[in-house]
Formats: sequence, structure tokens, C-alpha cells
Amino acid sequence: MLKAVKHYLEVLRYSAVIGLKCEMEYLSYTLCWLLMIPIQIFSGVYVLKVIMDRIGTLNGWSFGQVAFLYGLGVFSHGLQDLFFIQTRHIEYSVIRGEFDRFLVRPLGVFFQFCIGTVNLVGIYDLIPGAIIFAYGCVQVNFQWSIPNILMLIMVVIGGTLIQAAIYTLTGSVAFWTKKSSVFVGVNLQLFDKTTQWPMSIYPNWFIRIFSFLIPMGFVSFYPACGLLGISSGVSFPLPLEIPLWTPLVGLAWFLLARRFFYLGLEKKYESAGS
Amino acid sequence: MEQIVLDNVVKEYIVAKKKKGMLGALANLFHSEKIRVEAVKGISCRIEKGEIVGYIGPNGAGKSTTIKMMSGIMHPTSGNILINGMSPQKRRKEVVKHLGVVFGQRTQLYWDLRLGETFELLKRIYRLPDGQYNGTLEELRAVLGLDEFMDIPVRQLSLGQRMRGELAAAMLHEPEILFLDEPTIGLDIDAKQAIRDFILEMNRRKKTTVILTSHDLEDVMKLCTRLIVINKGIIVEDGPISEIVSRMATYRMLVLEVAEPVQSIACDKVEIMKIEGRKVWCKFDHHAYTAAEIIHALGQELKIVDLSVREPDVEDAITNIYHSA
Repeated sequence: MLKAVKHYLEVLRYSAVIGLKCEMEYLSYTLCWLLMIPIQIFSGVYVLKVIMDRIGTLNGWSFGQVAFLYGLGVFSHGLQDLFFIQTRHIEYSVIRGEFDRFLVRPLGVFFQFCIGTVNLVGIYDLIPGAIIFAYGCVQVNFQWSIPNILMLIMVVIGGTLIQAAIYTLTGSVAFWTKKSSVFVGVNLQLFDKTTQWPMSIYPNWFIRIFSFLIPMGFVSFYPACGLLGISSGVSFPLPLEIPLWTPLVGLAWFLLARRFFYLGLEKKYESAGS
Repeated sequence: MEQIVLDNVVKEYIVAKKKKGMLGALANLFHSEKIRVEAVKGISCRIEKGEIVGYIGPNGAGKSTTIKMMSGIMHPTSGNILINGMSPQKRRKEVVKHLGVVFGQRTQLYWDLRLGETFELLKRIYRLPDGQYNGTLEELRAVLGLDEFMDIPVRQLSLGQRMRGELAAAMLHEPEILFLDEPTIGLDIDAKQAIRDFILEMNRRKKTTVILTSHDLEDVMKLCTRLIVINKGIIVEDGPISEIVSRMATYRMLVLEVAEPVQSIACDKVEIMKIEGRKVWCKFDHHAYTAAEIIHALGQELKIVDLSVREPDVEDAITNIYHSA
């Protein structure tokens, strides 16, 4: 078991090296991203700031608290971009028969598929994300205690898994339909709207859908509530504000999504051409 | 030792039959007729360690489908496949450790990287110890002449160079079995020759079993001792190449130059293919008559100035098999 983990980590490490080398082949492209992403992320925050300057608080959330939530959302988005960008492109690989080459190698297909592109653009997301998060932390006077740090790490990992799971689930539909890219745009939009704004501004039915049907609320909303001591306003027998829900929900959904991917691969994958 | 066993392997696809036209397209939204297409219809064969087998057939005969099932990419609809005694579907990771696969139309190299970097990744995927990796790579560099393009990004390689790179990538972990699906497609004569030499060399040195599909019959003739011919999903021939050729290509071609122009020939031992002035092409069944008998018979009615006899070749045999099935 330990040997297998070491094996996978070593392949992951070298794939990251390859990702870095590929990125350096197209340096001007990298510079474009480095310019684009901060504009995108900071403008999102700026819109929030302008709105909040007019209305003071957003359903009880101060701007500092919103920045904390927003930063948390960007972290898991960035890590998802870094390690799981391929889950957005399952359709392409199904149509082009790209899984063939992974199937003939002695490693898990889903693993090979994901790390086939370690996408450094994800790291460029993390930089503006960190700046916004740091601003939020200062504003809300976040305590950097050991338990808080550990919880933050767990939340970011869990959020990354939730995002990866949703892209994988919707992307794997392509095994049956050959097309699934339509979901990518929807997912991106939904994640923006549910992880960068406090969900309590939405009506109850919306919050419930995006908590229990599609677990987007667990990416940043509930854990931010928990870490900042704000009530989510959602009545449920269990307290949803416990940050530990995020890694648990993330792991469960990720395993489910992986299972669904393999179901499609084994039952429906037809390769392509000769 | 039987290394590859196929038992009554069937692969079915379900294809939706679409109606034509705009109205048809609308109708398709609600209902489209599903047809079962059997790409492979119950094939069985056994391949021994160290064999080089030519697996040939016309386009769409089921060659690639079979290779994909043998290498664990696709699941057979029914029937059994065993590679080294294991099912490539049930125990994929264990089976593919010992397989090398090259698809002539696909690449498994990283487009933006040097060849060497892809090899380094493969070394980690197959967990090759440094010593073994360096030894094999050294050998492959020499046999395939990789040195001249090891440091060029893959996207800038010529097709011939890339294909040599693909072969090296497939052989790096010293697989016992090598599946080559049209490895020489689109290559020039020199590149084809380099690849053929390589395949023979690997087979000789490491006893690598090779299953090769190709439309280039010269590949098959120069490399393979055994031929499996598939047509419309059924194995129609399986045996030593020489035997198949002599059985299926029963005719020899005789080209005559005669002293005076002729219109027809009375001799019933030959079949006239073409007459052009003083040149006559005819064929005869070489199992029924010897060339000497034919020349003697023709000599009775014609004044032969010059003649040549062409041996039947694998191309004739294959054409016959494709058309008779």
C-alpha cells in the first residue's frame, strides 16, 4: 500500500516537472494568464466591494468576512485547476479515444488522466486568492492557531475534491452522450455564485439544492460560517457550520464521481477509429 | 508456451441508424433505430512466445478492435482473452506491465517535450530501476538512432523520427508482447526499413512476441512467419505465410514475346489476360502444370521470342482471400 502511494506520488512529482517545462515552452502565454487572472479575480471582489459600500453589510456579512469566504473559494478553485483541469475535458478525450494510452499503462486511468496535465495556471489563481484571503483574515482578526490552520487545510482539500467531483460527474456523462462540455460553463458559473458570495443571501430552496443535492455550499460557505462564527441560517438537525464536513463531503463525492467515471469507461468507452 | 489465447471472442457495437433530411433529424430526436454491428464475430487463436504474427485484413475488418481487446482497452462482448494466462480486462494493470503498444495513427509522446522527458515519465510509471532503464535506453538509442533527435521537442520531429520515438517508448519497459497497429503508415522507404530492422532485432534479442497489423504487405513478408487474415470479423486464414501464399495464389503469370502479332491462343492450359501487339500475358495454374509443360504447349502454335515467369506473391494471395470471403 505504502509502496503504491510512493509510486503514484513519484509519477505525480515528475508530471508536475513536465507541466512546468511545458508551461515554459510558451512563456508569452503564461504572461497572458498572469495578467488575466488577477484582473478577473480582483474585479469580482471589486464588484462586491462597490455593492457593499452602498449597503453596508450583505445579509449580516461584513466585507472582511466576505473577502475571507471569497479567498477560500478561490483557493479550492485554483487547486482544482492545478490538479484536475482535465476533468473539464472528458468529452474531448471520449470522442478522440484519448483514454487508450492510459489504459495500456499499469496505473489507474483516472489518476493518469488527471495528472496528464498539471496545469500551472491554477497556481496563478492562488496568488490573487491569497491576497484577498489575507485581507479578509486581517479584517476579521482571524486567529492563526494550530487547530484553525489544520481546519483551513482540510477545508481547502475538501473544497478542491468537491469541485473536482462535480466536474468529473458532469464530464463523465460524455461516456453515454459523447457530449458534456455544456456543463463546464454552468459549473464555473455556479461555483462562482455559490463560493464567492455568502449563500445566505439566496432563498431557502436554492441553498438547500446547493447543499444537499449539489454540495457547492460546503466548498466555502459553511466552513467560512464555522471558522468565523456566523450562523448559516439553514435549519438542519446537524450543525452544518462544522468545517470538518467539507473534507468528509468532498471525499465522499470524489469517490462517487470516480466510480461514475470508471462505470462509463468500462461500460461505454469505445475508443476511436483505428 | 501459449502467451496469447483468444477463445470465441465477439465484439458488438450498437450503432444508431439515423434518418436522412431535416424531418429525419427531428424524428431521430425521439427515436432512432438501433442496429447491432458485430465488428468481431467469434475469433479464436493461440500465439506462442517469440512469434511474429502478421494480423491483416481490409479496412474495417476488425483488426484494431481485436488489438484493443487484447491490450485491455476494450471489453469483448463475449468470449475469453488471456494474455500470459490473465484476462486483460479483469487484471489490466498486471497484464499491461508486459505489453508494449504502438498505434501508428496516435502518439503517446508529449507534444511539447523532448523525447527524453517522456522516457523519464515512463520510467517512473513502470517503476524501472536506474540500471535497467539506462541499459535499455542505451540499446534503443543505438538500434533506432535516437541520438540525432533526442533533444528536439516532439512536435518538431518528422513522422519517421516520431515513429522511432514511439517504438522506443513502447519498448522501454522491455515488454514480452508488442502490439503494433500500422507502425509504418505514412513512412518513407528508409524509415520503414529502420522500423522493420528494429522489430526483427528486438524479437531476436529478447524473444519479444510481435503482433503486427499493416496494409503494407512488404512489412508482413519481411517480418512475419505466421499470418492471420481477418475479414468481416472472421479469421479466414491462419498459418505459415509461405503455405497461405502457395495455396491462395495458385496462378503464375507468363509474359511472352512472339515473332508475329496474334489475336488469340488455342491452348486451353492457360488463361489469356492481355494481348498487346506481339506481347501476351497469360496465367496458368502452377499446381496443375509445370512452366516447362506450358511453354512446350505454347511453343506448338506460337513462335516465342522471349518469355518471363512471375511467381505468385503475397499480394495476389491476399487479394484472393479478401475477395473470396
